[in-house]
Amino acid sequence: MAPQKYTGQVMSSASNCKANGTVYPTSAAVAVNTAKKPKMEQIQADHELFLQAFEKPTQIYRFLRTRNLIAPILLHRSLTFMSHRNSRSNANRKIFKVDDMLAKVEQMKGEQESHSLSSHMQLTFTGFFHKTDKPCQNSENGQNSVSLEVLLVKVCHKKRKDVSCPIKQVPTGKKQVPLNPDVSQAKPGAFPSLLVSSTEFEPSNSHMVKSYSLLFRVTRPGKRDPNGFITGETDENIADVKEELASRKKRSTSHRDDGDATETFVAQMTVFDKNRRLQLLDGEYEVSMQQIEDCPVSKKRATWETILDGKRLPPFETFSQGPTLQFTLRWTGDASDPSTAPVAKPLSTRNSDASVPESRPATLRSAPMAVKDTVTNTSSSTGVQTRREQSVCEPRQKLRIFYQFLYNNNTRQQTEARDDLHCPWCTLNCRKLYSLLKHLKLSHSRFIFNYVPHPKGARIDVSINECYDGSYVGNPQDIHSQPGFAFSRNGPVKRTAVTHILVCRPKRTKPSLSEFLESEDGEPEQQRTYVSGHNRLYFHSDSCMPLRPQEMDVDSEDERDPEWLREKTATQIEEFTDVNEGEKEVMKLWNLHVMKHGFIADNQMSQAVMLFVENCGPHITRRNLCRNFLLHLVSMHDFNLVTTATIDRAMVRLREIQAELPELEEGQDGVGGACNGHAVSSGFSLHGKRTKSAVTD
Amino acid sequence: MDEVSGTRLSPGKAPRSLVQWRRRVKSEYMRLRQLKRFRKAEEVKALFLSNRRKIEGRTELLNKEWSKLRIQTIPLTTPSGSLAGKKCTVEFGFPSFPNQAVAMRPLTTVAGIPFMYSWSPLQQNFMVEDETFLHNIPYMGDEVLEQDEAFLEELIDNYDGVHGDREGGFISDEIFKELVEALSQYSDNEEEDEETTEEEEERALRRSRKRKRKSPSDKIFSAIASMFPYKGTMEELKEKYKDLLEPPSEAKLPPLCTPNMDGPFAKSVQREQSLHSFHTLFCRRCFKYDCFLHPFHASPNVYKRKSKEIRMETEPCGLDCFLLQKGAKEFADQYMLRSPRSRRRRRQPRPCSSTGPTPSGSVEERKDGDSDHETTSSSECNSRCPTPTKLRQGEELLGQGGAPQQWSGADESLFRVLHGTYYNNFCSIARLIGTKTCKQVYEFAVKEVLIHRVPLEDGGISPQKKKRKHSLLFCYVYIVILFTIVVLDNSSNQVYNYQPCDHPEHPCDSSCPCVMTQNFCEKFCQCDQECQNRFPGCRCKTQCNTKQCPCYLAVRECDPDLCLTCGASDRWDNKQVSCKNCSIQRGLKKHLLLAPSDVAGWGTFIKEPVQKNEFISEYCGELISQDEADRRGRIYDKYMSSFLFNLNNDFVVDATRKGNKIRFANHSVNPNCYAKVVMVNGDHRIGIFAKRAIQQGEELFFDYRYSQADALKYVGIEREIDVV
Repeated sequence: MAPQKYTGQVMSSASNCKANGTVYPTSAAVAVNTAKKPKMEQIQADHELFLQAFEKPTQIYRFLRTRNLIAPILLHRSLTFMSHRNSRSNANRKIFKVDDMLAKVEQMKGEQESHSLSSHMQLTFTGFFHKTDKPCQNSENGQNSVSLEVLLVKVCHKKRKDVSCPIKQVPTGKKQVPLNPDVSQAKPGAFPSLLVSSTEFEPSNSHMVKSYSLLFRVTRPGKRDPNGFITGETDENIADVKEELASRKKRSTSHRDDGDATETFVAQMTVFDKNRRLQLLDGEYEVSMQQIEDCPVSKKRATWETILDGKRLPPFETFSQGPTLQFTLRWTGDASDPSTAPVAKPLSTRNSDASVPESRPATLRSAPMAVKDTVTNTSSSTGVQTRREQSVCEPRQKLRIFYQFLYNNNTRQQTEARDDLHCPWCTLNCRKLYSLLKHLKLSHSRFIFNYVPHPKGARIDVSINECYDGSYVGNPQDIHSQPGFAFSRNGPVKRTAVTHILVCRPKRTKPSLSEFLESEDGEPEQQRTYVSGHNRLYFHSDSCMPLRPQEMDVDSEDERDPEWLREKTATQIEEFTDVNEGEKEVMKLWNLHVMKHGFIADNQMSQAVMLFVENCGPHITRRNLCRNFLLHLVSMHDFNLVTTATIDRAMVRLREIQAELPELEEGQDGVGGACNGHAVSSGFSLHGKRTKSAVTD
Repeated sequence: MDEVSGTRLSPGKAPRSLVQWRRRVKSEYMRLRQLKRFRKAEEVKALFLSNRRKIEGRTELLNKEWSKLRIQTIPLTTPSGSLAGKKCTVEFGFPSFPNQAVAMRPLTTVAGIPFMYSWSPLQQNFMVEDETFLHNIPYMGDEVLEQDEAFLEELIDNYDGVHGDREGGFISDEIFKELVEALSQYSDNEEEDEETTEEEEERALRRSRKRKRKSPSDKIFSAIASMFPYKGTMEELKEKYKDLLEPPSEAKLPPLCTPNMDGPFAKSVQREQSLHSFHTLFCRRCFKYDCFLHPFHASPNVYKRKSKEIRMETEPCGLDCFLLQKGAKEFADQYMLRSPRSRRRRRQPRPCSSTGPTPSGSVEERKDGDSDHETTSSSECNSRCPTPTKLRQGEELLGQGGAPQQWSGADESLFRVLHGTYYNNFCSIARLIGTKTCKQVYEFAVKEVLIHRVPLEDGGISPQKKKRKHSLLFCYVYIVILFTIVVLDNSSNQVYNYQPCDHPEHPCDSSCPCVMTQNFCEKFCQCDQECQNRFPGCRCKTQCNTKQCPCYLAVRECDPDLCLTCGASDRWDNKQVSCKNCSIQRGLKKHLLLAPSDVAGWGTFIKEPVQKNEFISEYCGELISQDEADRRGRIYDKYMSSFLFNLNNDFVVDATRKGNKIRFANHSVNPNCYAKVVMVNGDHRIGIFAKRAIQQGEELFFDYRYSQADALKYVGIEREIDVV
């Protein structure tokens, strides 16, 4: 059982809950009462129950998350309640003209050319940000700047004799960089800047240089932070921070700091990689710095994880907390060109604008940082953990979400807290509480979520949805004809459409958190499947073959006169021994006619007779059955079903039909007549089974 | 010949030759059996092949049709994964043969479907007779358990026998005939052996001649008789052989069969005879001949004419019209005025189109006609002897007739038939006959009047048939009375099957079967239109889906011939009928779909959403008697699947062999449908209705045990639970 492996922060249960900076196990209602000496077995049993309830759905959602990353079925940003994730607007489409495309491409080309002409790399430093230090404190200490040293590191190709790659470090300059500056007040020109000549990047003579990178080293005099806040290695792919186009931070080299008094932070960025591709384009950068003092991490052990206090951190956590250096990079052709770089605003990370989109960096920096006094790793640390909040009074602090897991018939609960708006199951950043709740409700319907307002943020009660309908709601064709086809991972596939496209514009209620509150009557909101309809594969009732979508609309098995019944009535009449051929023929024709049209009323009969003449008239004529037909009509009249007028009309019509096909009559009359006459003698010996008198008996 | 062979069978010779003959019989019999088996196999093969061809043709047709529809097909996934590159190789031990390899193409798994016994589709109930013979011993699985054996024994006891029991060594007539023919060759040979030998060709010639001439010797029959003792003695076999040898053409026509009217052998027969087949086989309730639902068909002569629609034509149809002849009009008029009125309801049939009544007689008849119980029948003709006046008149007319016309048998018969309907409208009759003028018809009519003084001249068959009908009717009444007693014993909420009542002389009182079974008289009853027990129908102008509608209240569907205002009687070709109480008869069922159930086995699903109380489908199947249901139910219980549905006290609907898609609807105690037995134009039928609003794609359930009327009782497994 290693739930934390899969489930990360959420699943860290009572037995192994630890502070990790963002997730605070506050209480376990049941477990807490045994504050003195928690019994191991009890906890174990409780843990078992918890796992029983939540492990499986959580694993499923973890799996789905991964799959959605690899082969997305939907894009979250296109959901209405996630509209804020959609950064692209379609405004450009309105002014788009086809003719502009060429101009655009040419313009881009020109830019590239100028780019290659540049001979200097200009670095303008906005400031060094370290959130544990407040600007006010710094000003008190007079410590509002740090010294920054920029080194160009050239990693050369290994020669045979070398053990490791030879590294050359070329110092490019030292600058004083403001510490935690107020960006809004700073003047653009006031920032320190550095120039690195492009000649530096020319291949040097002694060694073939493999790659070039910039090494920033920030030295800050002063004491260590009493919190013992340690930033681990940040070896982070920050590709999706918008402004950083393709920057890649290299693993920071670790050095031991020599003095107690000074803290040294380092960061390294690749300028040209080993394929001599330029990695640093023009733009604003924010580099996460690392304190090198206590990170004896060797290269080999390096992993792609952000570690904070020995626990994993979401990727961009460091940008809101850790020490960062901000600078603007420009490639310029003229060294003397004054820096016209725009004001480098501190980059906002995804986290920071979650609940307070317009929050200033200053407040962000001062967001409460939970600090542990004792970071214990013991499993029995349930009730012992304490935490201290530095600034509870801050009203615009990050929203804290408490997840309260209810299980064992809702008698037990465990609480977990997070102070971001990421979905605990798929780590999707929802950025708004409403979106988070909506997302949870719609995407994780194996659980029931109830929202309870909380003074510090929000509480979400999570319980297992007993009525979860896991039935397949996709195209039924996919199940049968192509197993696994519905979940094909070879990219999007076209599917046979079964459903009609309905354009529905439902009246959307204004997003309000109240819709997530537990309903008053206690009755959990009726869990109806959102998709009703034909979410299964149907079969033909006669052949048990799957019903294809094109066969859906016609009921092929609802004939009033299925073939076997038509055959049956014919054989049944044929079986009579004391009914002559002509009579049989007319009777069969009439029966088939009635069966086909399903007449049910006496008053339909004249109509039926006329229709019969229309449909079967030619046949009657050809088979020479006119008199028998007349007998049939008279019989119908005897049964009170038709009038003599109908007989007259029917016969007149029959005569007309007779006249219409004279040549046929000529040709077939003899044959038909003969057939009729002689069949009398031959037919009976074959089907001598029933008599009409027997029928009446 | 007989004597000769008789002497041959003298005691001295008998043992040896008999043994020899028996051996021959056996070998010949085996040979013939084998031949027959072989022929049957060939037949099956041929049938199979023709079936294949048919299937191929149909598929091609369907594919062609579908290729016209533009539907995006599901793309075949290219083989991928671990099996993609795998090949299947065949290696040879011999060096000269190269190895052969073929790429492996794994087939995807296809999900299995539940088990289903075959059944035939049906949209209306189908009545079948009781099966007193067990057709097959039900298959209970490969391991027949002890209890199952006991069950089977018990089951077989319920039946008169098992089909095919007696056919072990049975020889059919056909084989018998062939056997005798094959054996007679031996006898020929034997004779020849005993006689002087002749040339081969000559012998063959003679044999063929002989076979025509003489019948096979008795030895053959006695040998066969000893081999198959249960087939009868030697004499019986011989008789039988003679019977079989008789040419099928001669004397094969059963005595009751009337020759084909359109055929060359049409005879001049009475009206009743000409129409006999049509009258007896027509089902007035289904409008079909020999229908699947009603075993008893009332004959038409008991139906009365609603209106006196027959009018005498007063205008001559042309220059040569018979009306222009002297005295003709008077003759026709006189005839016309009285004959329709004079028709009195009588069970005894008479040859038709004979004569008119005497003037005095007609007065009497008139009185009769005014009385309440008079029911006239157009088909029935008064067979009272014509009076002398009439006769004289006829003779006179005949004298004026002129040259006698050639009348064929068919023409004569047809005239009589039409005369029973059109009376003296000779112009109409002539038009319908087509080959004669009205003058000729008139002349013939006059002649007929003269000829048919003796009523039952050659109609000897008719009364016989009628008598049969009589006895049938009495039988029926007897049955009704019998179970009336049962009715009275039981509680009043029993539902009995409806049979049209037919008690000529009485109004529908407490002795009427309809009254006794607490059914209304229907339009099929022989009683008067004004009968007290008739259901009047509704006069609704709304949808007839509330208890405001008398039909709905009586759990009847609106009768299209009675309820003329609610819409049940029009818009035949339209599915949108204002009356919501005629869905079963019109078959306005919902589109149902079949899929594996969420509960068990197969299930029925609905395509479109329906409202509460909307009609969904009729539960159709075989209509079987309660006894038969009991017998079948035993087997079904064993199979744990039953499609039996109690219809009323007399009948049960069994959808096992025949049915429609609703048969797959599963049972539920919390269903979304309910079943209701509704009287639909004289038939009880089971309608399945929506108990609540049902969404599209939902599975349908109904409670097998109870219907709204509480008349339904699930006969299968659940009944036992009820008992316990």
